[in-house]
Amino acid sequence: MAKNPLDMPKRHWVLAVMSLIAASFLLDALWIPVKAELAQHLLERSWLRTLAGEPDAKPWPWADTRAVAILEVPRLGLREIVLEGSSGRNLAFGPTLLNTTQLDQSADRILSGHRDTHFSFLKELQTGDLVRLRTVKEIRDYRVSWQEAVDSRTQQLVIDDSVERLTLLTCYPFNATTAGGPLRWVVTALPES
Amino acid sequence: MSNHTRSTDNNRPGQHRSIRDELEKRAWVQNPDLANRLNNRLEGGKRHYDGSRRIMRWQDRILLTLGFALLVLLVIRAETAIGDDQVWGLQLNNDSGVYTELAINTGIQLDITGLVSRVEITQSFTNHGSHWAEGIYRFPLPEGAAVDRMRIKVGERVLEGEIQEKETARQTYQNARDAGQTATIVEQQRRNQFETRLANIGPGESIEITIAYLQNVSYSDFSYHLRLPMTFTPRWEPGQQTAGGQLNTTLQTPYLIPSFSSNGHGLTLQANLVSAVEFAAIESRYHDVDIRQVENGYQIELLNPDEISDRDFVLSWTPTLQSHPSVSLTTFNDGDSVYAQLMLAPPLADSISPQAREIILIIDTSGSMEGASLDQARAALLHALNSLGPDDYFNLLQFNSETERLFDQSITVTPTSLYNAQNFISRLKANGGTNMAPALKMALEMPEIPKLMRQVVFITDGAVGNEAELLQKVAQNLGKSRMFTVAIGHAPNSWFMRKTAEIGRGSFVHIAKPDEVETQMSALWGRIQLPALTDICVNWGDTAEYFPEVIPDLYAGEPLWLLARLPAEPTMIGLCGELNDRNWELNVNGWDAASSGAGGDNLAKLWARKKIEALEDGLMFGADPELTQLEITGLALDYGLLTRYTSMVAVDRTPRRDGGESLAVSEIPGLLPTGSSAQLAGYPSTATGWVAQLILSVFVLLLATCMLLFSGSRLPMTPIIAKT
Repeated sequence: MAKNPLDMPKRHWVLAVMSLIAASFLLDALWIPVKAELAQHLLERSWLRTLAGEPDAKPWPWADTRAVAILEVPRLGLREIVLEGSSGRNLAFGPTLLNTTQLDQSADRILSGHRDTHFSFLKELQTGDLVRLRTVKEIRDYRVSWQEAVDSRTQQLVIDDSVERLTLLTCYPFNATTAGGPLRWVVTALPES
Repeated sequence: MSNHTRSTDNNRPGQHRSIRDELEKRAWVQNPDLANRLNNRLEGGKRHYDGSRRIMRWQDRILLTLGFALLVLLVIRAETAIGDDQVWGLQLNNDSGVYTELAINTGIQLDITGLVSRVEITQSFTNHGSHWAEGIYRFPLPEGAAVDRMRIKVGERVLEGEIQEKETARQTYQNARDAGQTATIVEQQRRNQFETRLANIGPGESIEITIAYLQNVSYSDFSYHLRLPMTFTPRWEPGQQTAGGQLNTTLQTPYLIPSFSSNGHGLTLQANLVSAVEFAAIESRYHDVDIRQVENGYQIELLNPDEISDRDFVLSWTPTLQSHPSVSLTTFNDGDSVYAQLMLAPPLADSISPQAREIILIIDTSGSMEGASLDQARAALLHALNSLGPDDYFNLLQFNSETERLFDQSITVTPTSLYNAQNFISRLKANGGTNMAPALKMALEMPEIPKLMRQVVFITDGAVGNEAELLQKVAQNLGKSRMFTVAIGHAPNSWFMRKTAEIGRGSFVHIAKPDEVETQMSALWGRIQLPALTDICVNWGDTAEYFPEVIPDLYAGEPLWLLARLPAEPTMIGLCGELNDRNWELNVNGWDAASSGAGGDNLAKLWARKKIEALEDGLMFGADPELTQLEITGLALDYGLLTRYTSMVAVDRTPRRDGGESLAVSEIPGLLPTGSSAQLAGYPSTATGWVAQLILSVFVLLLATCMLLFSGSRLPMTPIIAKT
């Protein structure tokens, strides 16, 4: 029986197409942490420009956000650049400031980040850990004082500038398979002095 | 050999050449001994492939699995995309998906007699929508309020609510709700947070719910005060520490909106202040009111007809004071027991001579106090040092894992001792554990200074684990000393601090922020430097159950209020104490007791409320939770009180909503307090789900590759009976 190369079984075609789709999903999935990491490097340079006094240093020309602070957790050796505005797009690039006013004028600061990229460290954070926030104007030290899970369907975030604190937010549980769950992990840190 | 015959039953009409057929053919070509192998394999059970009853072959199964996995991947991807754009904010639970428009207005009727105030809150739910509705409304009541009555008004019918065990009440409500009957339930969610649910409000209809409770009038700075909370302050209240990662679902913050987006929340209020004597002053702190003097007291009404419930209502009135402690006794006999209320009013501040005291300041310097807390504690200590009088004695103690004292025993206030103390304070460092017991023991067992009252001021955040044990220590070693607690920081262990003060016969203040040090410490000092009547004892007779169990001292500006349940009418109640260093005694003749009149069972209900509070406190001392729940439920049902284990439920038996019509559920928001700097926001979506996507796509890829690799050289897809 003569072998015809075009006579390849149909099943192989289906398999090939599926593999292609799966491969694209694979790349798509990998792109998320890669983008998260890469963006931080690009942001590093725009942060230096911000520190140098450039008023609106965009990390890349088409960006609609900017670096506003550096978040550090010395015990975990963590250092991340915080972006302004907690939109889904910004969250892909770094932890974001859920802001109603400028960072330097607010006392009650709320940062949110993805539980599976930038804020995956929240599960290792312990009560009493030092969390440092470097803004353009100051370096502020906070200590983690409360950690709790809340249900975003029945609870609201309270932004109260009469209280000085730093809140770190991420999705919960940490190892849930799919995104979009209702629970959030809330870490509250109070200023050192 | 060249022509392998295929089993005939594989021939199907139409002769579709499937991939399977194709692969199969190739397998036959490539594996000449296939027939033998197959025969061996099929020895066990001869499954014949039948065109009409197709059995799925393993390649198909894998293909299907792959297809399914790809579908799941797509869903994950789509959900992540939705997550990104999700609108933030609260979702109302609306099980029929119908938009409802419910509004709520509140009317309050206050009747104040003596130290007890009867409050009736009428919530009227109006359904502006075109569907049947169920409304949920969370509202505040003062802590310790004895909620004892509820009624519902549907059209012209008025139905009284009844108290039921919480789960039973829920069931009653749920059944009525589902049967289309108008029903309502009131539950306690936290000490000061309650929830009303009202089911089956017809389109365009208004239904009124009236909730009645008893509340004690408070007394401070020589005036009576009554505070009616109207809304919640959205402030940071940490829940249970969820180290294990469990969700604390009982903690539900009420849903609040700013007043400009409200359609309702109107407030009307009318108060009757019953009094035979004239008051020096009557004042409403946050509302404009009209005050009229009537025959048996005063009538107070809100001036503004468009008032909304966005701030608390506070009423204060000032009586004319006497220069010696005054006592009043009220009793109520319900046939079984006698309930007695004893009020001890302090004399005027001018008539109390300040006494020299021994002050021992204890400061917690454990690790948890590091930072802002220690700074506030230092400021509080310096404030205390500056407030010492010339005849006072003082000492300073600090503790973490170790306890250290400044002087071996308390010494007089001199420039040198003050200098040493300031030095001691500036050297304080927060470090180490919280070993509180030795410090308490050292302070309480220090040699006494003759004739001086010892006041221990204890400054801490109360981060301890052995509360019950510590409280027992205080109770055992207290002697003639008094404990005053100063809680530091945003989230101190308030319960422990308040309890320590209660058992230590002192009082408790909380300093949350640095700028509160001055006001709170001044308040504490103002209170404790003028003890009017100390070491108070009350001899009720046998088997009296009274609250508070430990009677604090009587200070200027703070009366004492005791409630007791006695087996029979008291004939004589003996009071004793120390007034200005002399023994003080007073016998109150039971015959002189005022009868509490029409609303008499109020005393019984207030007493039961105190007893329930004491039982709830017992939980912290290791009382059995189930037993406590039983006891509280029993008391609550006996006295008709709403508690965390019992709810009020009322049902109008007439079915109104047809089973076919849907019921839309919505939570009616409360109002943000006026002037609140706080804003509310929803939680952003904070997960990408990339790990799951990665794992799943790797799985699909691997499986597909495996199939590609093996399908060519393995078994055919069809069990075949080869004819060789």
